[in-house]
Amino acid sequence: MADSIALRATAVAKAHPRARSEPAFARWALTGTALSFLGLFLILPLGVVFAEAFKKGIGAYLMAISQPEALAAVRLTLLVAALAVPLNLVFGVAASWAIAKFDFHGKNVLITIIDLPFAVSPVISGMIFVLLFGSQGLIGPWLAAHDLKVIFAGPGIVLTTVFVTFPFAARELIPLMQAQGSEEEEAALSLGASGWQTFLRITLPNIKWGLLYGAILANARAMGEFGAVSVVSGHIRGVTNTLPLHVEILYNEYNLSAAFAVASLLVLLALVTLVAKRIVEWKSGSELAAGRGESK
Amino acid sequence: MSIEIRNISKTFGSFVALRDVSLSVPAGELVALLGPSGSGKTTLLRIIAGLEVADSGSVLFDGQDSTVRRIGDRQVGFVFQHYALFRHMTVFENVAFGLRVRPRHERPSKAEIERRVQELLELVHLGSLAKRYPSQLSGGQRQRIALARALAVEPKVLLLDEPFGSLDAKVRQELRRWLRQLHDELQITGIFVTHDQEEALEVADQVVVMNEGQVEQVGTPEEVYDQPATPFTYNFLGSVNLFRGRVHEGRVQMGAIEMFAPEHIEVRHSVAVGYVRPHEMAVERQNGGESTIEATVRYLHAVGPTVRLELERSDGGDLIEAHLSKERYRELDLKIGETVFVKPQNLRVFVPDNYQI
Repeated sequence: MADSIALRATAVAKAHPRARSEPAFARWALTGTALSFLGLFLILPLGVVFAEAFKKGIGAYLMAISQPEALAAVRLTLLVAALAVPLNLVFGVAASWAIAKFDFHGKNVLITIIDLPFAVSPVISGMIFVLLFGSQGLIGPWLAAHDLKVIFAGPGIVLTTVFVTFPFAARELIPLMQAQGSEEEEAALSLGASGWQTFLRITLPNIKWGLLYGAILANARAMGEFGAVSVVSGHIRGVTNTLPLHVEILYNEYNLSAAFAVASLLVLLALVTLVAKRIVEWKSGSELAAGRGESK
Repeated sequence: MSIEIRNISKTFGSFVALRDVSLSVPAGELVALLGPSGSGKTTLLRIIAGLEVADSGSVLFDGQDSTVRRIGDRQVGFVFQHYALFRHMTVFENVAFGLRVRPRHERPSKAEIERRVQELLELVHLGSLAKRYPSQLSGGQRQRIALARALAVEPKVLLLDEPFGSLDAKVRQELRRWLRQLHDELQITGIFVTHDQEEALEVADQVVVMNEGQVEQVGTPEEVYDQPATPFTYNFLGSVNLFRGRVHEGRVQMGAIEMFAPEHIEVRHSVAVGYVRPHEMAVERQNGGESTIEATVRYLHAVGPTVRLELERSDGGDLIEAHLSKERYRELDLKIGETVFVKPQNLRVFVPDNYQI
């Protein structure tokens, strides 16, 4: 019975192959619009970056990115990301653990506050730290008295970067942990595991893909952040310039090919990030599917 | 290990899950906590396990107060409703978990762990699946792995939350029998939660009927089924016919039914409700005299060993359910639309506390 209906349905579909598709001109127009939009706003700029970077030949390109100032910027950027990303992972896991596994007053306030860095403009994020740690700031005089430099120095850049990338890990983990519930943790506890063992052996393996995903996004933002870092850095060449700030300086000096050469490094970072993100999504997707089978 | 629960109360926000529950479970028995959803049975089980903390009252294991003891130190094995297997570990690692997390000086050697796990997997008849992941198992297999994992730590008490709740009927039957056998082999105290009365009556030594956070009745399956202590137990365990009427100094009057209920000798002019199980209704073709109700056969269901009759009372049109044996049914040779006379054989009368049900 069901078979015969299915057969008839295919017969009908064959008789009118285009019954459910748009007329040709509409299809061409829609596809064309989408593709030209994509080309104009995504592909073309990418191409321009590399075209400008290699305009004066590969030698000039290598020169530009091996300048001591450029190398210093690369080093600082890597250092900032290496400090900010792990800090955020620790905060993110702690916050989402508390939010997903426990009930307490003010939970919704906490969830909202975690999103704050996404809501405010990056410039404001930078200003916050200048107001806190700057020479006229709240803790500034005390820091000056103890000869500690935060603003216009590395620590300020790291602090600001931690602030702007704060939500990445937590955003990723809260829904994941809420969906997983705490039954597996309860099972581990009932089998005699300590809290720490439960975390290391049960919780962490279950969130590893989400955590990695959050780390990749946080890393991309940490390396690419401009506005907030610009406010606290002080633009000291070879000392407090990160890659994006270095690009700006070169550009403002009309040193276009050098600016684009350094910028191409950031574009490469973006491409690597996208590929890594895709791999993690694919990996965790297949594991999520397995997990879903488990809960049934 | 024997378990004693004294005056446990628990609320979640404004919802009262348990009110002043006391219960004692002798060592080695298999007890069912039976009740509808929201009756507090799972909460009670979780409090015994140490997964939940009671607002007041205490839990005693072998006479020792264990109310504040950590779950890991209670020597209980807990089997979760949805199994809660560790999804990133193989079946073998799941079962071995409880042994691997022990402090170093208590931890068995690698070879010993391997031997014990294999032994447990044989016990649950799944020795060949050690390398699989939970997602590759069927529901019944997962349930048995969850049980093997709980048994690995050699618990003194086994607690099971709706152990067969999410399995299909056939597997459920098998596992029920198997759990009973396993319990008899291991001689371990067991408590399981269920909302399925058939399951509780078939598997358990003792049935604890719960309703709205309170224990309605505790007894053997025969006791709770044949002598329900409350209207709730009557209703919850199997189908039942209701008769409404009045009682005064023990004399019960319910339409055509008149009888004497000595337990209500002190009740004066009160509303009363009578309960009769369908198989305790005698069906006759001739009027049997006193306390007989005239009714018409409305529906006949003759599949299986018992025949179910749906009868409509001639006075008032209320429906009565009666169960007959196949032989009796043939003897009477009933057809739909015929008139019969029914007589309740075992009527239990309850006087509602608040004059309404």
